[in-house]
Amino acid sequence: MNIDIKTKDEQNIILIIEGVDVPFINALRRICMVEIPTMAVENVEIYKNDSRIFDEVLSHRLGLIPLKTDLDSITLREECDCEDHCTSCSVSLLLKETGPKVVYSGDLTSQDSKIVPVHDRIPLLKLRDGEEVELEAIAQLGIGLEHAKWQPTTTSAYMYYPVITIDSEKCEVCAKCADECPRGVLQFDEKENKIIVLDPEQCTMCKTCSKDCEPSAITVEGREDKFIFKIETDGSLSPEEVITTACDILAQKSDKILTFK
Amino acid sequence: MIPIRCLSCGKVVSGYYEEYKKRTEDGENPKDVLDDLGLNKYCCRRMIIAHVEVW
Repeated sequence: MNIDIKTKDEQNIILIIEGVDVPFINALRRICMVEIPTMAVENVEIYKNDSRIFDEVLSHRLGLIPLKTDLDSITLREECDCEDHCTSCSVSLLLKETGPKVVYSGDLTSQDSKIVPVHDRIPLLKLRDGEEVELEAIAQLGIGLEHAKWQPTTTSAYMYYPVITIDSEKCEVCAKCADECPRGVLQFDEKENKIIVLDPEQCTMCKTCSKDCEPSAITVEGREDKFIFKIETDGSLSPEEVITTACDILAQKSDKILTFK
Repeated sequence: MIPIRCLSCGKVVSGYYEEYKKRTEDGENPKDVLDDLGLNKYCCRRMIIAHVEVW
């Protein structure tokens, strides 16, 4: 297996993975999506809420805030010894505000300096003059299989690596394909009088080029052992952490099958 | 209030709405603002451009 990192930033990564098959990469995709634990608000204790937003709507909004997650310092609630929640399996976020103002996710004060909201400017509720809100939000580790708020990825997808072949004997160099391609993958080279493929990785395999080719000289196919794998995270974990944790989980699952008696 | 996440993909969009609103009111092209904010998918873009703040 050969992996190339094509682009990478804080929340996105695009990998070119060669030498694997569809079941393997699909397993990786599904684990990235729904089996990696992240932090999210699970219980909310509302002491006071004078605003016009209902308690349950406010709780739902709190649950959807992505929280920066440190997987080493906190345990899953199923694996914790406590009955409900304790400091080793949960983190409290406190909120106490008086209007008039808009309350943002940045106003939440976390008891753990590592586990804080990813974004500070998520509007949670609006308070009018004299209205108060006071609550304690309890965040816990969970997985996306249980609720989408625990999904670390917002995009987790792969596609076949596109291969565009132009049969030079059949090609009449009408340059129709280059004009038709919506992604600008093909270009008509006047000097050499032929069509050239600029960047096959930009191709979405829509096959508009081959549809309009009268001598059918151009074919677009996907390689079944090479993939473009794209991950976008919500910021709770970095894309590298997502992929490495997914590989660990896949290895653990494979071990379970191998040692099954 | 704007939903916290994109309804289709789950990307956080609410944190960008105020900046989008301010910058478009100042005369910037909405397309350029959305590109600059990193909202590349059309599901996330419609969350922002179709939102009406009613209260």
